[in-house]
Amino acid sequence: MLVLDRATLAPTVDWSAMTSAQPREPETDLDDPIVADDIARAGDPRASDDGAAAGGPGETADERRARFERDAMQYVDQLYSAAMRMARNPADAEDLVQEAYAKAFAAFHQYRPGTNLKAWLYRILTNTYINLYRKRQREPQQAGTDTVEDWQLARAESHTSTGLRSAEAEALDRLPDSDVKEALASIPEEFRLAVYFADVEGFAYKEISEIMSTPIGTVMSRLHRGRKMLRDRLADYAAERGFAGARAVAAQNSAPNATQHTAQTTAQEKER
Amino acid sequence: MNDCQGLGDCDDSRLQRLYEYLDGALPAHDVAEIRAHLETCSECLEEHNLECMIRSAMKRSCHEQAPDKLKVSILDKIHALRAEA
Repeated sequence: MLVLDRATLAPTVDWSAMTSAQPREPETDLDDPIVADDIARAGDPRASDDGAAAGGPGETADERRARFERDAMQYVDQLYSAAMRMARNPADAEDLVQEAYAKAFAAFHQYRPGTNLKAWLYRILTNTYINLYRKRQREPQQAGTDTVEDWQLARAESHTSTGLRSAEAEALDRLPDSDVKEALASIPEEFRLAVYFADVEGFAYKEISEIMSTPIGTVMSRLHRGRKMLRDRLADYAAERGFAGARAVAAQNSAPNATQHTAQTTAQEKER
Repeated sequence: MNDCQGLGDCDDSRLQRLYEYLDGALPAHDVAEIRAHLETCSECLEEHNLECMIRSAMKRSCHEQAPDKLKVSILDKIHALRAEA
């Protein structure tokens, strides 16, 4: 259960805990629990100021709240869907979304009207997940989780073909939604989120790099590997359902090269 | 699985090329080139279609509706924060 009290919002720690993120610029607004400078960069800096009617200095607090409700609340279903991919259960997803909206509202004066509000909100949601949920819920399992992820990555990498054969493609249409969601949920977090942001939300590489605070090369690498892993898992589900051409390769999979593959992957990510 | 080298000389580079194409990350010239290739190469077209199907399956499956009580609690929270300010 997430604690939603505003007082508990610690200064932001970003993805650098789990990736080799770019060096950060100095934080400029230490009064705000969210790193203001950081959040503002999710928008397009070239946007012009639309004046009092849309966030200018003459806007009253009530006008700002009304503008927030009008502009930001329309994304609640999408943010909830993304939060479900992050937390993987409805109770935590709800907490994440509520917390993200509270943070976004508190920082809304820093959002530049006319820039990409959806990407700005996704960035706050992602940071909220990393700072609160992931740190509290997942760290104790770190060692065990890594082992599973290593194996999974190695497994997808070891398939020379694309995992899901074209002959099985039609099975995709017949796979229940729950299978597709589980397949996505089963791939490691940083790959899962990159794939979700690109394939479901349609964000561009640059937007994903801002949302996830990682270089574009890392985003592309995660997408490539994440999509391969997803194909691999979807093929498993199709096979389990007895759909066309249950894959023969399933029996061949084993974990002996996991460490080697992952070390290689990490090195490749760092090169980019 | 695919011997065509029109989009790259191995499965990985062909897929990467298709991903960038479908992600809208390529300049117009490259897009035109890939479109022309897909018209003539059934193997790459199949790969392309498979990727499109995966994406549409994900879009179909991952759409969730936020519970009404969540919407209410967000608005309550915002009003409370506004009152504090």
